[in-house]
Amino acid sequence: MSANPITSAEDLSINQTTVDLNNHVYDQLELLSEMSRDFAASRDIEASLARAVQHITDHVNAEGGALFLLEDEGATLKCHGSVGMTDITGITLNSDQGIVGRCVQSDKAEIVRDVADDPNFHKGVDDETGYTTRSILCAPMRVKGERIGAIELINKRVGDGLFEESDLHLLEAMSASAALAIHNARMADALVEQEKLARELELAAEIQRSLLPDGNDGITEVRGINIPARTVSGDFFDYFQLDDKRIRFNLGDVSGKGMNAALLMAKTSSLYRCLGKTIDQPGKLLGRVNAEICETATRGMFVTMVGGIYDPRSGIVRMSNAGHEPPLFRTAEGEYTDFEAEMPPVGITTFLGDSDEYPELELRLNGGALYIFTDGVTEGYLEDGKEFGVEGVKGLLDDLSSVEPGSRLEQVVRKVNWGTDKLRDDLTMLVIDDAAAFKERSKSKSIDVVSSAAADLNSDEIMRITVPARADRLKLVRNWVFETARFCDCSEDTSHGMVIAVDEALQNIIRHAYKNSGIGDIDISIQRSDEKLIIVIRDYAETIDTETVRSRDVEDVRPGGLGVHFIQEVMDEAGFMPPPEGGGNVLRLVKQIQ
Amino acid sequence: MNCETREEQGVTIASLSGDVDLQSSPEVRKILIECVDQGKSLVVDLSGVGYIDSSGVASLVESFQRSRKHGHGFVLVAVSEGALRVLKLARLDKVFTICDTLEEGLSSLNK
Repeated sequence: MSANPITSAEDLSINQTTVDLNNHVYDQLELLSEMSRDFAASRDIEASLARAVQHITDHVNAEGGALFLLEDEGATLKCHGSVGMTDITGITLNSDQGIVGRCVQSDKAEIVRDVADDPNFHKGVDDETGYTTRSILCAPMRVKGERIGAIELINKRVGDGLFEESDLHLLEAMSASAALAIHNARMADALVEQEKLARELELAAEIQRSLLPDGNDGITEVRGINIPARTVSGDFFDYFQLDDKRIRFNLGDVSGKGMNAALLMAKTSSLYRCLGKTIDQPGKLLGRVNAEICETATRGMFVTMVGGIYDPRSGIVRMSNAGHEPPLFRTAEGEYTDFEAEMPPVGITTFLGDSDEYPELELRLNGGALYIFTDGVTEGYLEDGKEFGVEGVKGLLDDLSSVEPGSRLEQVVRKVNWGTDKLRDDLTMLVIDDAAAFKERSKSKSIDVVSSAAADLNSDEIMRITVPARADRLKLVRNWVFETARFCDCSEDTSHGMVIAVDEALQNIIRHAYKNSGIGDIDISIQRSDEKLIIVIRDYAETIDTETVRSRDVEDVRPGGLGVHFIQEVMDEAGFMPPPEGGGNVLRLVKQIQ
Repeated sequence: MNCETREEQGVTIASLSGDVDLQSSPEVRKILIECVDQGKSLVVDLSGVGYIDSSGVASLVESFQRSRKHGHGFVLVAVSEGALRVLKLARLDKVFTICDTLEEGLSSLNK
């Protein structure tokens, strides 16, 4: 509070001397409230200071007055308002110069009854203005022990023109009030400025939030979450559906924090979304975004990010990683794999190996979930002060495997955002969860693995052949199958159907198992068991994942992928036997003989 | 497999014969796409096709889609029993325009 605290009512006892004092107290209060009102109304500190000097000068009945405030971290004193003689508003003194300087330094009010006797009197101002200073009053201004300046009055208007001790007390009281009013005005000013900045920041954050998907887009397989450590974030994620139902996704982390990171985030995210509607391949797309950012981004800023496409109909993810934390894949069985970035972040160089595109990685989710996150999650502190870490994240994901993807992310992030007011970094995480889509896909028929017990032990083998895995032998095989089926009393129609089934099965083996190499054998055995014809086809190629052999919805008209559908249409049973010892695959087809 | 192409009434006609299977379908695909890219409607005569497999069907589907994209007609005519069996398995008998004879096919395009 002020140097001269306003005392309680007991001090204001009724006698002649205290009536004067009483008036003074009233005047200080009046000054304080008037200055405060003035600042609040005008919001112009300078004008209010000038009026305050006028008020004080009049009240003490001085010829002139000036109000100095400390500036340049206390190195100088600048006049912010003056009355009388010459206007010295704006002049600057060293903070130890003159009587006003001495007063501020010593932090004591003083009276120089006659300047002629004072060696500290700075004659410079008088020389410049042509004014004659005879007597000076000077009182420091301070708030909460902090010096902020001083008020100086010159020459008493009445009598001999020299100030009295009582004038000094009056000035001291008034300067304390002025100091408080100035302090309040400055605080109010800073507050207004702060609020303005906060409003602008909040507006920026709102725009940023609008760049993130709101989760009301009907996409259930992909979910994301972003918790900024400050108002704005340098992290981002996005996902959206393409016309063919595939889902494009990305997640990134801009180097640095604050507004510049937020702006680069907005730029990168918008570029990706826009270009992502025309450029299909994730590696090429990321390459184009990189080229654009390299060309225009501020030097030294970069973005680590992962971008890709997920196809819920196949469970396949294709993605590229530009210097980002390795995405974490959790299989349906709970095994983890991560994928290190092979190329630098976006915004550093357009020379990516021998190409300007990022390498792509293909991943079949098969009911598992792919997690992409920023290091804010793994490097965040838990409530016990320990770092979360990738292992911590894995452990929690194991516990949450049956939880819906969106709330799974919320719970992971909450581990680090447990109520601390100081997050270490932005928290951003994205999940591509294939579980539901996998279930849906499994409903469409696939060729099952049948147990060996289901194979018929008492069947008669009619004939067995071995052919090289070559397309030019298919016609021979077809003729053989047709004749053998006819031999077994199959109708012509049934025999044609069996031809189609065997032909398609062999086609798949030649193209996919032996990869069109033309090298390798295929054994075909036709057996008869009661009223069933059993065809067993064996190859010696790498054992395939039977999940990948799947029929396609025939309503979906496009080339390719019909073979398995044909087999299932014409045969009564079709299934893989458990993989034989020594590798390869065994397919068993069964048809009732009509 | 054999494939002959000719032009009649401003329409390209491709006559396939023999087996269209894994061995021959790449060539069939190439010929049909060349025909489509000539910028005329295409009639594919399947009367001589004894057998067609899924890869042959895929070639037909691809050239059919390409033709539609160009805004031209695409008709299958005189589809043999064996080929029709496979087209039906693929439910493509409802997708393709299929005419019994070449004449019907040509007039369906000139409507």
